[in-house]
Amino acid sequence: MAAVEKLSFDVLVVGGGIAGIETAINLGNNGLNVLLVEKDLTLGGKMIMLSKVFPTLDCGACITTPKISEVARHPNVTIFTNTVIKSIKKQDMHYFKSLLVRNPRYVIESACTGCQLCEMACPVVVPDQYQYEMVGRKAAYIPFSIACPRVAAIDIEHCTLCGACERVCPPKCIDFTQEPIEFQVIIKAVIIATGFNLFDPAQIKRFQYGQAKNIITAMQMERLLAPTRPYNHVLRPGDGKIPDKIAYVLCVGSRDRTVNNPICSQICCMYSIKQAQLLMGALPMADVTIYYINIRSYGKGFEEFYEQAKGMGVNFIKGKVGTISEKENGSLILRYEDICTGKLKEAEHDLVVLSAGVLANQDATGFFSDDRWEKDEFHFARQNDLFFNPALSSIEGVFLAGTTYGPMDIPDTILSAGAASMEAIRYIKQMALKI
Amino acid sequence: MSKKIGVYICRCGCNISDYVDVEKVRASAEKEADVVLAKTMVFACADSSQKEIINDIQNGVINSFVIASCSPKLHLPTFQAVAERAGLNKYEYVHANIREQASWAHSDDKEGATAKAVQLVRAAIAKVRFATAIEPIEIQTQQAVLVIGAGVAGMKAATSLAKMGVKVYLIEKEHFIGGRVAQWDVLCLTEETGKDLVTRFYNDVVMDKDITLFTGAELIESSGSKGNFKVKIKITPRYIKDFCEKEKMRRAIEVCPVEVIDDFNFSITKRKAIYHNFPSQYPLVAVIDMKNCTRCGKCEKECDKIDFSQKEKIIEIDVGSILVATGFDPYTPRKGEFGYEEYDNVITLPQFKRLVAINDKELKWNGRQVKTIAYIYCVGSRQLEGENKYCSRYCCSTTICAAIKAGEKFHDLSHFHFTRGIRTYGKQEMFFYEASKQGQVFLQSFEDEPPRVMRKNDRTIVCINDILTNRREIEVDADLVVLVTGMVPRSHGRISEILKLPRGRDRFFNEIHMKLRPVETVIDGVTIAGACQGPQNVVEAINSALSAAIKSYSFVSRDTLQVEPIVAEIDAGLCTWCGACAKACPFDAVTQINLEGKEIASVNMTVCKGCGMCLPVCPVNAIQLKTFSDDEVEKMIGVLAQEL
Ligand SMILES: Cc1cc2nc3c(=O)[nH]c(=O)nc-3n(C[C@H](O)[C@H](O)[C@H](O)COP(=O)(O)OP(=O)(O)OC[C@H]3O[C@@H](n4cnc5c(N)ncnc54)[C@H](O)[C@@H]3O)c2cc1C
Ligand code: SF4
Ligand code: SF4
Repeated sequence: MAAVEKLSFDVLVVGGGIAGIETAINLGNNGLNVLLVEKDLTLGGKMIMLSKVFPTLDCGACITTPKISEVARHPNVTIFTNTVIKSIKKQDMHYFKSLLVRNPRYVIESACTGCQLCEMACPVVVPDQYQYEMVGRKAAYIPFSIACPRVAAIDIEHCTLCGACERVCPPKCIDFTQEPIEFQVIIKAVIIATGFNLFDPAQIKRFQYGQAKNIITAMQMERLLAPTRPYNHVLRPGDGKIPDKIAYVLCVGSRDRTVNNPICSQICCMYSIKQAQLLMGALPMADVTIYYINIRSYGKGFEEFYEQAKGMGVNFIKGKVGTISEKENGSLILRYEDICTGKLKEAEHDLVVLSAGVLANQDATGFFSDDRWEKDEFHFARQNDLFFNPALSSIEGVFLAGTTYGPMDIPDTILSAGAASMEAIRYIKQMALKI
Repeated sequence: MSKKIGVYICRCGCNISDYVDVEKVRASAEKEADVVLAKTMVFACADSSQKEIINDIQNGVINSFVIASCSPKLHLPTFQAVAERAGLNKYEYVHANIREQASWAHSDDKEGATAKAVQLVRAAIAKVRFATAIEPIEIQTQQAVLVIGAGVAGMKAATSLAKMGVKVYLIEKEHFIGGRVAQWDVLCLTEETGKDLVTRFYNDVVMDKDITLFTGAELIESSGSKGNFKVKIKITPRYIKDFCEKEKMRRAIEVCPVEVIDDFNFSITKRKAIYHNFPSQYPLVAVIDMKNCTRCGKCEKECDKIDFSQKEKIIEIDVGSILVATGFDPYTPRKGEFGYEEYDNVITLPQFKRLVAINDKELKWNGRQVKTIAYIYCVGSRQLEGENKYCSRYCCSTTICAAIKAGEKFHDLSHFHFTRGIRTYGKQEMFFYEASKQGQVFLQSFEDEPPRVMRKNDRTIVCINDILTNRREIEVDADLVVLVTGMVPRSHGRISEILKLPRGRDRFFNEIHMKLRPVETVIDGVTIAGACQGPQNVVEAINSALSAAIKSYSFVSRDTLQVEPIVAEIDAGLCTWCGACAKACPFDAVTQINLEGKEIASVNMTVCKGCGMCLPVCPVNAIQLKTFSDDEVEKMIGVLAQEL
């Protein structure tokens, strides 16, 4: 590893999803120097992958990209992508010290023009994680067209070192000699905006996810519906057929003690209703049925959005789905309890979407080895003073933004990011007065 | 300098290109005079596209440009910033909306959508030919913020701003601060009571020398713009001087002969016309409610601090930003709605919460012991017929929580919840789980068949056709029926008119963008926080208060601010001062002045919002709107009206 570089900033923001981006912009606009660290190759988190967002039906990419471009060019914000946090430690009353490792892209970031010639030349194809494995990508690749930075990277795990990319790259920016760089950063405050993980439905065997071909997650459906979609149409992954009876199974991995996640994920009812509406637009002939326990359309404009979906002809069935099984033709049989009639019923659908829930991302536990980083009983970051300072973590000077402390949608994420920014600025101002 | 126009046509992923043939639009644009470059882009707003435009400008290929993409509401500022970063004046860029106005509006007619997009782009090109550099107007900012409403959101915003070194005026319409939270006992999710929480906030407020708190204070006038608002506040006195002795005050209250309904306890108790605060209400000084006081003078004899000579005051202050945090009112059911005001044991959720708070050993209502409680959900929310279509968000969790807390305080209660599907979102799901585990009963009605409340043999019965037990008719004989009333915006007097703040269909204040800018409003410099924007719980309201505070801070943290130079201009030669424009202006920006002996109209540039209302009323056509001159608009119409 190359020698340790030393840097200092006012605030370290960990996580480049919408929470981290909004926080960095807020802080930067108020004159603070910010280091924004993202472990992925690109900023944007989950939001940039979304098709349209409820309840405004704005295109996800269209409202995320301007934020990203604002943060990317902000004079007070430095961005490290592909970077992991090794540790964050309180040094004294005023400062934290953090160790980061910036992993190599094997591409000289400043020289790459994003021409994608390397991508075309690369012979290796692997599943594309940004399209949730529904299509392939190359080992030399740009994550997606609106990635930021829009710069190639080499997936060294899969690369065969054939050198094809090196030969075609016009600015000669492929560099296999790059090594991880370690940084030591001194900061006054930290914001944790590491977001959430999605529940893996393969854990629930009776739903057959990963076994039956035409069962996908809602995130995969987001991709099928997005402007930068993989097949340029909504198709069943199993055989490329246009589906005409689509089912949504709600609360997958949420409100479920058998998978140790008793809480409600707060967003899945709404994103499913949104997708149902988009599907009615994309496939006017299709039937869409949503199997739910309770519909939680609680936010501003949500109930109206739910009513709108009913008006458009989306079927809502109050019922818990017991099992899903695959027929030979790839269609799926759902066995469910129809609560309104109290009967066990079966229904056939040709595509099933599992609305997987939100789980805590517990990475931050690893950052703070000897400080008192606390979690709540659901493994989310603990808010130390819920009503008075919702953004405060269990460590003074460390603030929380976004889904780090619980499931939430984009507007709530934006509000929490505003709160974390305000608290961080206030904290730094106050600490400056103490000697 | 001759115009070298660049035209960038956005596919918006496929939001536009699915319906509009962008290549055709590009080809048509390219043929227009002065257009030197026309490109299509996947996402014009993406960082890489922005860089491409900047390069075209900086390499001298173009010196003005048109973006044809989504609504300017979304991205006008994005591309204005692009122009500026490239060293171009932002008014040398013109926007054409070919998504909302072409592709989405005509998704059933691709040819028509394309033809319309072609015309819209040509019109934009016609306009950009006129484009000249204009400079923004600079104003000196007032480094102070007016916060309206001293509930928890307002107080949190005020203290945060003050800690950033900003002068804050916090005004509260009531004589006591704390808003609704002061009225709550133990709050969900913690062991803290509303009183504890309000006390913490209040201590922060009074300890901060940068916060000036006015109670009994209402906004009555506002003028100016972001960075520099002039506001007038009317202050109603307490009619009691500070530092009065406790015992004297107690006696003064005792002798007051007037009894009125106590709003603090949501009408379940009475108070006097001179009344003291509840322990959770600050400041700790009593007040005389002049609306109900008969001036009998009895209290004056008991306490020498009573002072009927105190006068209403109007003060004027200058602030750079206004933060509105006026909160909500609980919905008031109609007479007869689920037996409200018809049967004496039907009360609302806020009343129930006060009842639990003020009862000690036994839960009693009207002298009778309460054992069985029926809660009817969604009263005033999710209405099928009424106006309130929205879900009030807080009530499912709050009710379950209140039922659990009531059960802890008073034993042997039975709870029956008549719901429309429980919405304990997020971690609040645990309340639902807990209550179910305790054996509280949850029933659910069909959407079109709400529960009914009726009287049988002098008992109040709630009856439901229950979804959860297979449409069984269930009747509950209840000692107390609690109507789970939703949130409606607090009656804020004239605030929305005075500040010209738009409200949504749900009558809550509207934000600029529900997703990304939830605390900013279309009135630059005015932010909204807490439940005045939409139903919220305490944590959500505090988050929104802090977000609003940081946005308000950005209007006052610098010495000067720039405002849009798109304002009306008066041609002094043509104007004959008839006053028509002054009457038409909704912002009072037009005044009469004397210019070298001639009476003419004059526009205050920092107040003018460029709405254009004054233009059509001028009989001599002496007014032009910058960047929208008659010439420009006529040329655009000319193009749009042309047959292709
Ligand atoms: C299928 C689906 C559809 C949705 N649709 C909508 C919708 O229509 N409307 C809506 O309002 N909401 C929607 N949501 C919710 C929305 O996605 C979230 O509210 C939002 O993404 C939360 O933002 P965040 O920044 O907190 O988290 P994330 O988006 O998860 O971002 C976290 C970021 O932190 C990075 N990170 C994680 N760990 C580390 C680490 N250790 N070091 C450095 N970086 C790290 C991640 O790579 C990521 O970039 C949807 C969610 C899903 C799953
Ligand atoms: S939001 Fe809806 S789908 Fe998601 S866990 Fe909650 S109730 Fe289930
Ligand atoms: S939160 Fe619950 S009680 Fe309140 S309106 Fe929504 S669904 Fe009804």
